[in-house]
Amino acid sequence: MSKSAGARALDAAMSLGAQFADVRFETVRSERIEVRNGVVAALADASSSGYGVRALIDGSWGFAGNDDPSDTALDETAARACAIARAGASIARQRVGFPPPRAYVDTYRTPVLRDPAGVPLGERVALLLEAERLLHVGSEVMVGRAWIDVWSTVKELYSSSGAQIEQHLLQSGCGVQAMAVGDGDAQTRTFPGDIGLYQSGGWEIVEKARLCENAPRVGEEAVALLRAPQCPSGTYDVVLGGSQMSLQIHESCGHPAELDRVMGWEANFSGTSFLEIDQLDRLHYGSPKVTIVVDNTLPLGMATCGYDDEGTKSTRSEIIQSGLLVGYEMSNDTARAIGRESNGCVRAQSWAYTPIIRMCNLSLLPGDIPFDNLFDDVRDGLYMESNRSWSIDDRRLNFQFGCEIGWEIKNGKRGRMLKNPTYAGMTPQFWGSCDAVGDASSWFAWGTPNCGKGEPIQIGRTTQAAAPARFRNVAVGVGYSPAAS
Amino acid sequence: MNDLERERLARELLERSTADETEVLVAFSDAALTRFTHEVSNQNVATRGVEVSVRAIVDRRTGVVRGNAFDMLSLQQLVDRAAALARLAPEDPLLPRLPAGKPAAPSPTAFVASTADATPQRRAELCEPLFSAAEGGGCWCAGYVSTSSFGITIANTSGALSSFDGTDAAVNVKMVGRDSSGWGEAHATDVGTVDAAAVARRAVEKATLGTAPRSVEPGAWSVILEPAAFGEMLAYLTSHFSAQSYEEGSSFFSDGLGRSYFGDNVTIRDDWSHCLAPGIPFDYEGYPTQRLALVENGVVRNVVTDSYYAKRLHRENTGHALPAPNSYGPQPLHVVVAPGTRSLAELIASTERGLLVTRFWYIRTVDLKKAIITGMTRDGTFLIEDGRVTSGVRNLRFNQSILEALRSCELSREQARTASYSYSLVVPAVKIDGFNFTSATEF
Repeated sequence: MSKSAGARALDAAMSLGAQFADVRFETVRSERIEVRNGVVAALADASSSGYGVRALIDGSWGFAGNDDPSDTALDETAARACAIARAGASIARQRVGFPPPRAYVDTYRTPVLRDPAGVPLGERVALLLEAERLLHVGSEVMVGRAWIDVWSTVKELYSSSGAQIEQHLLQSGCGVQAMAVGDGDAQTRTFPGDIGLYQSGGWEIVEKARLCENAPRVGEEAVALLRAPQCPSGTYDVVLGGSQMSLQIHESCGHPAELDRVMGWEANFSGTSFLEIDQLDRLHYGSPKVTIVVDNTLPLGMATCGYDDEGTKSTRSEIIQSGLLVGYEMSNDTARAIGRESNGCVRAQSWAYTPIIRMCNLSLLPGDIPFDNLFDDVRDGLYMESNRSWSIDDRRLNFQFGCEIGWEIKNGKRGRMLKNPTYAGMTPQFWGSCDAVGDASSWFAWGTPNCGKGEPIQIGRTTQAAAPARFRNVAVGVGYSPAAS
Repeated sequence: MNDLERERLARELLERSTADETEVLVAFSDAALTRFTHEVSNQNVATRGVEVSVRAIVDRRTGVVRGNAFDMLSLQQLVDRAAALARLAPEDPLLPRLPAGKPAAPSPTAFVASTADATPQRRAELCEPLFSAAEGGGCWCAGYVSTSSFGITIANTSGALSSFDGTDAAVNVKMVGRDSSGWGEAHATDVGTVDAAAVARRAVEKATLGTAPRSVEPGAWSVILEPAAFGEMLAYLTSHFSAQSYEEGSSFFSDGLGRSYFGDNVTIRDDWSHCLAPGIPFDYEGYPTQRLALVENGVVRNVVTDSYYAKRLHRENTGHALPAPNSYGPQPLHVVVAPGTRSLAELIASTERGLLVTRFWYIRTVDLKKAIITGMTRDGTFLIEDGRVTSGVRNLRFNQSILEALRSCELSREQARTASYSYSLVVPAVKIDGFNFTSATEF
């Protein structure tokens, strides 16, 4: 549909001196339904259409976005991209931009079992009203929330080297959350995971979450946490649940393995990385139990698609191989700088943004120990689930994470519930202490719908597939020592 | 799209709506940002767009639809869809009527044409002194220069019609030395007043002073937080002043409105008219935003409301609505901390042994009710000995209750605007005793 408009924008950019140009048309339709304390707080549709032109001149990229589809605006936007590229080139101390090496002509569609558009709105609202109602197991549950999100995206990418890629992507998610307040405390429980269940696909994702079946337990746990003992401070063996492992991978592997960060492209904001290029194939990131891959073909992955926003075909490649740093998440320009080819990790939030490196789908490959057996070898430890606080330094070394809920592990058995569990460490030492990863039966694709990066900031949707895992001699209870409060 | 065009579009949509009540928000943005690293522009972007949001209310039921297509058919579909969604929603018996009200005139300095018209070459010119300072100081630099213009119009069937146009310009730079870094920022509505060279000079000075950083032991320290650091910390307190947090019990003062929580030198206001950050004089319901004290001489004085929470809590509407729908409730978006009497230099001079912090990074809430947060120092943390800044130190992690930090503190007489993608605040520097650092990192 946008082919002729694409050709027009590309012609305009090339006639103004671009050595390469691409144009990406996008229409995103998003739906949000949220119930809060019995009231439908959000029943909202949004649609946004527009396009972004990238022009490469003298090794400098310029990007211009516009929502005006007229011929005049297409010409002006291409010209704006060229003017921006030229201004950048005028002050550049080196050449960093290069055209992508290949151009594909293809179409991709997210596999969908049940299109959410076919589910009556009344049915969706009724599900959330019921799930939210079931959270209120007592008067101390002051806030109940239940929500559904759906994003449907149609993208068309055209380039001056002949790329013509059309993609139809669908992502869905939902969750419930209860906040209990009492005794001067506020405690929150969320399900599934810490932010809800978010995956590529349709209504089947919402059905899989089983919100109503789990809501009463979520409310009960929030209330129970008010009276649970405080998580102790000290050094303990720790087992982390799957969704917390997702967060751990996201923050301490996903971000530091973004090659743009490694090269200083995010230095003033998101930061840099300890995974420096001269450490490739040398740095022992973790124990031999730790193998992490980026896989943008992963079924159900939020970042799964046919091609990234530079037109690179989706693939799978290793980042950490049995504990050793062997790769990065890359774009064309950054991969070329280290003598490699892009592994298709470039995304833009929407038509209005230039594509940048995102961690996409990152998976800690499963081990061989059933989840219940992860506790077997723990004499005095803690099990933690569902992230509620996450902080890590700007090279991704010193981290401190907190969870919504924890339990003692005594002599291999799960014991008392504990509130305010936190743990902290230095990334390579922490991953080096991983001595067991759960097996494939506990391995799950956990989506993150709200990863922020870049300036202007862009929101990316990523997945970290993981099973629960065990770590030895971890600092626990940080943040709640008497000195902190 | 100027204010007259936006108002015409808003009226058109109101006329087309069949809902009992309708609110239209038209937002225009033309934002450009030149990002750089290693003295090369690596992301150089500009995006122009208009978005319309329609909130329809039918029988106390609400639906909201957003879109950016402006042909007649699309506009009709927008209002029809909003009304259709509203009819499917359950009734909210507490839903108030959409508010009317005439806001105060915005600051005449909120919109500056030369900022709105800034070219890519103008932004490149502002990058040049940053690059030169890096090269001259033995550093490389990363950051951005941005210029933007934006306008919003809000109209509703109760008669509200409010428009605002503003501009922003900013420089943000990190200077990276061999084993240290420094950072600076500047924000203004007039790009002509942004002194990129001064920002660069200060950031290079910090990187230079921080060379060969020392390790210091975590523990309770006297700290002086420069405005960027104080602002980032305070951004984790402002949501407590929402009527929603207050009512739901998650605010630190849910049981204590009118009680003293801070030192009597602490006054925190929400003030859209402050000269360093002139903002929008109305909220996202088009209702006039009150300039009010959140904390006055240490005492929590007010929560901020919108029409919904004003009715729900039987309080005055202070005009702090966010765009509908949202999960956050009303919020103060123009927070200003009143200055103290001594200068930043005097605060440093009065410190026998302490740490000077340029900025924080990755602050997150550890305990909501106690307002305990954690985070890292970044890009310029220095040791103060005998009233003088003597060396850089390796970065530290803190775990600290904001309430305890501000119970006994001293504020500088200089204020500055500090901003990120999620907040914009006007704050002084602050000196805090017994600030809890809990671990260190390697750089």
